Amino acid sequence: MKKIKIKELIEKIEGEAELDFTIEDGRIEDVKINFGFYRGIEEILQGRDAWDALVITPRVCGICNHAHLIAAVRAIEDGYQNAGINLLLSEKAKKIRSFTLACELIQNHMKWFYMTIVPQLEAYLQIDNRQNHALKATYLSSTVTKALAIFAGQWPHSSYAIPGGVSCDPTHLDLMQAEALIDECIRFVEQVLIGMDMAQYLDISSVSQLHEVGGDLGRLMHLIGSSGMATLGQSYDRFIVFGESLLSSSGKSIATAVSKVDPRYVQESAQDESMAKAVTYKKRLYETGPLARGMVAKRPIIKSLHKRYKDALLTRIFARMHEVSLLLTESKRLLRELDLNEPSCTLDIDTRCADFEGTGIVEAARGSLIHQTEVSGGLIHRYEIITPTQWNLSHGSGDEHGIAVEAMIGSKSIQEATFIFRTFDVCSVCTTQ
Amino acid sequence: MGQVQHSKPKLLWLQSITCNGNTHSFLNHPDIFSVFSGFEVVHHPVLESEYTFHDLAALKIPCDILILEGSFIEKGLTKNGVEVSKMITHYGNEASHIITAGTCATFGGIFKQKDPEQISGFCFDIEQQTERYEKFASKLISLPGCPIHPRWLAYVLMMLSQGKKIAIDRLHRPVELYGYTVHTGCTRNEYFEWKVDTKGYGLKEGCLFYEQGCQGPYTRGSCNKILWNDTSSKTRIGTPCFGCTEPQYPKDRLFVTRTNMGIPATMPLGIPRRAYLTLTGVVKSFKIKRFSQRLLEYDQ
Amino acid sequence: MNSVDKKALKRESIIQTALQLFSTNGFHKTTIPDIASKLGMSVGNLYNYFSSKDLLAQEIIRYTSEVLGEKIREVNMLDVSAEEKIHKIVEIYFSMAKEKPEMIEYFLRVYLSNREVFSDGCEGMVCVSGFITEIMIFFDDAVSSGELRNQDFFSAFGLFMGYLGGMVFLKGEGVLPKDIAYYIDDISRNIYYALKA
Repeated sequence: MKKIKIKELIEKIEGEAELDFTIEDGRIEDVKINFGFYRGIEEILQGRDAWDALVITPRVCGICNHAHLIAAVRAIEDGYQNAGINLLLSEKAKKIRSFTLACELIQNHMKWFYMTIVPQLEAYLQIDNRQNHALKATYLSSTVTKALAIFAGQWPHSSYAIPGGVSCDPTHLDLMQAEALIDECIRFVEQVLIGMDMAQYLDISSVSQLHEVGGDLGRLMHLIGSSGMATLGQSYDRFIVFGESLLSSSGKSIATAVSKVDPRYVQESAQDESMAKAVTYKKRLYETGPLARGMVAKRPIIKSLHKRYKDALLTRIFARMHEVSLLLTESKRLLRELDLNEPSCTLDIDTRCADFEGTGIVEAARGSLIHQTEVSGGLIHRYEIITPTQWNLSHGSGDEHGIAVEAMIGSKSIQEATFIFRTFDVCSVCTTQ
Repeated sequence: MGQVQHSKPKLLWLQSITCNGNTHSFLNHPDIFSVFSGFEVVHHPVLESEYTFHDLAALKIPCDILILEGSFIEKGLTKNGVEVSKMITHYGNEASHIITAGTCATFGGIFKQKDPEQISGFCFDIEQQTERYEKFASKLISLPGCPIHPRWLAYVLMMLSQGKKIAIDRLHRPVELYGYTVHTGCTRNEYFEWKVDTKGYGLKEGCLFYEQGCQGPYTRGSCNKILWNDTSSKTRIGTPCFGCTEPQYPKDRLFVTRTNMGIPATMPLGIPRRAYLTLTGVVKSFKIKRFSQRLLEYDQ
Repeated sequence: MNSVDKKALKRESIIQTALQLFSTNGFHKTTIPDIASKLGMSVGNLYNYFSSKDLLAQEIIRYTSEVLGEKIREVNMLDVSAEEKIHKIVEIYFSMAKEKPEMIEYFLRVYLSNREVFSDGCEGMVCVSGFITEIMIFFDDAVSSGELRNQDFFSAFGLFMGYLGGMVFLKGEGVLPKDIAYYIDDISRNIYYALKA
C-alpha cells in the first residue's frame, strides 16, 4: 500500500506546531512533531545574576509562567542549601506558594477545556454550537488569577517567590478577598463545569458513578463516550511525577505499580529537525501531567477510569479536569490554615551565596518542570530547563515513538489524531523555550 | 452574518518571537469580549476567529488594526513556511493602526537578548528607530510592558474603535498610560519620602528603591494606578519593579539597586541629582518612630 | 538698595561677626549683647533677626556649609579626573582653614562640641546638607566613571573628611611643624590611593 505524507499546522496551542503525518492504509503510521522557534532563554541567562532567573524564566511561557518562577526559586534554594546556607521556609510561605501555583493550574485547565477541547471536539463531531465557550474560560481564569495576584502582585509574570519565601505580607483582609474569589470559582465549577456539589463530586470513586457528573464536563464525557472515542489515544501506560505537590507525591507508575524516582536519571537529548529536546528517564519515555499525577497518587476515580480505558484520551481529559475541583478545595483549605504571624521570608536580607548548584522541581499544569542552575561568582554559568511537554511531545528515542506520537498512531484520520494531540495540552513555547 | 458586523474594524493579532504572555494577560480583562465586540476579530492566537493560520500565512486576511506581539526578526522565524517578518510587513501595510503589544514588540525586550544584532522591536531597537520606523510611524502605537496590562490595551482599542485621537510621546506611548511612573500610587510611598528602606523581603513596610533594585521611580507606566488583575502590583506585594516597560529592559541584576558609594545610580524620573541628594540628606536626619515600627499592630 | 536686600546684608554681617566671636571666645562665653555691641546695633534689633542664640548658631553652620558646598560644587563642575578633584577639594579645605579659620574652627569647636544646641533644627545632616550633597555628587561621579572603588558612603566620607578635619584640628592646636599648605600634595595622594578603584 502507498504511504502518504501530509503536513498539518496546529494552531491555537500556545504557539503553533507542525505535524508531519505518514498515512498508510488509511491509518496514521507515524507523526513527526515540529515546533517553531528556539528563543534561547537558557542562553540569555548565562552570565546574569543568579536571582535574575526569577524574572527571566517566567518569560518562557505566558500560561505557565508561575510554575517557572517556583522552579527557579527552588533551584536557587536547593543551591543555597547545598552550599550550607540553611533555608527553612515557614509553613506560611510554603502554603502561599502552593496556593498561587494551584491558581495557575486551575486557570490553565479551564482555558484548555473551554478554548481547546470543547470547541475542537464539537468541530470534529460537527456539532453546531454557537456558545461562546471562551467566555466561561476567561471568566473563571480571570477570577482565579485575581486571587493569585493578591499574593503575587500580578499574573502573568510575577516574581514574588524569592529565596527564603515570598515577598508578600498578606493581611486577613487579603485572605478574605482571596477566599471570596475561590468561593466564586467553586460556585462556577459546580454550576457550569460539573453540574453538582463539589464535595459529592470529589467523593465519586468509580466509573459507574460518573453518570452523576453533569455540566459541561459531564456533557463532554458523554459526547466522547457516545461517539466511540473513549479508548482512543492510548500510549505506553507509563507515568512519571518528579515534584511533590498538593496533587501527588513523586514517583512513577508502570502498569499501575508505583515506585520511587530520582531526578538524576533524567536525560536530555537533541532531536533532529526539531528545536525541542527529548527527555527520558533511565532511557525510557514517560507521560507526565495530570494523568500521571492521578496514577501516582492512586486516586480512586482515575484508577477506575484507567482500569476500563487505560491511558486513553477520556482518562487523560478527565484527569486534567478533575484537578480543578481538587485544587479549588485544597486552595480554600490552604487559605484557612494560613498563620499570618509566621514570617513570609526567612532569608536574611544580607545573606547571599555566590557559588552553588541547585535543582528546582515543580508540578506545572502539564507535568513535571525541572530547572537546574549552576552559579559561580554570583553569576549563572549554566541554566537548564526541562519542561513537561518535552516528555510528552518528543519524537521518541531509539525504537520507541514519543508518548503523544504513540497515542496518535493508528488514528483513522488527521482530525482524530490532532484531537488526540491536543489532549496532551500542547504548549509550543514551553517545548522549545 | 449581517452587513453591520462587517463594517466594524478588522482586528488581527499576530505573534512573532513571544511567550504568549501578552495574549494571556489580555484574557484577564473582565470585559474582554465587550472590548472585542467593537471589532471583527479576524485572527487571534488562542480565541476562535474567522480565519485560520493558513489564511493568515497566505496573506489573505483583511486587516484594519494590527496587534503585534513578540520581538521582530527579519529572517529565520517561519510559520507555515512563511517568514513572520513578511506577514508583519504585509499586514502592517494593510492596517490603519499598528499596536506593538508588549516590550518585545515595542523595543526588543527579553528575547532580544538572545541575538541583539538581529532581534529588535518592530519600529524601535531599544530606543533607536529601526529602518521600518519611517514607513509605519504614522500608524504606530507603542504599548510596552512585560506583559502588557490588559486595561492599557483595552483603552487603546476602545479609543480606536471610537475614532478618537490618542496622544502619544516620542516613543509612541499613550501619554495617559505612560505619563506616570510606576512609583505613582505605590503603597510604600511614605517610606520612599522618608528614605526608609525595607528590612527584608516579605514585609509590607519599607521602600524597595534603595537596596532591592526597585525601578518604580524612573519607570514609566501606571501599574500602581491601574492595578494588575484589578487587584495589586509588584511593589504593593513587596517585589521590586523591574522596569519592564522601559526600552532598556531587562537590565542586569534585577534584585539589586546599583549605587555609587551608597547613592542610587539612577535618579527618580526628571529629578536633578543635587535636588534629590539635598532632600535625602535632610530627611535621613530624622528618625520617624512610626516608620521604625510595624505598620499594623495587632496586640494592643 | 531696597529694604529686603539691606536686611539680607545685615543678616550676613551678624552671622559673620557671631562666627568670629563664637570661634575665638567659645560658644558659651559669647553672649548676644557681645555680638550686638561688636556690630554697633541694639540687642533688641538683633533679636529681630535671630530670636535666640541657638538659632543664630544653627544659621551659622548652615551658612558655612553652603559656602564650602558652593566651592566644592565648582570643583564638581570641572571636567577633570577624580584625582585632581580630590586635590582641589583638599586645597579648598586647607585654604579655608588658613584664610577663614573661624569657619572650620566653628565647625570643629562649636558644631561638633555643642550638640545640644543643634539637636532641634539641625538634626543629622539638615544644616550641613549644602556641603554633604556636593561630596555625595563628587563620590557618585567618581564611582560611575570607574575612578573610585564602590563602597558604603560613610566609609569613604569618614576617610576623606575625618582626615582633613584631623589635620585642621592639629593646626589649630599649633602642633603642625609646617604650614598646612605643605601637606596638600601628600594628603591628596593618600586619599586618592585609599579610595581609588
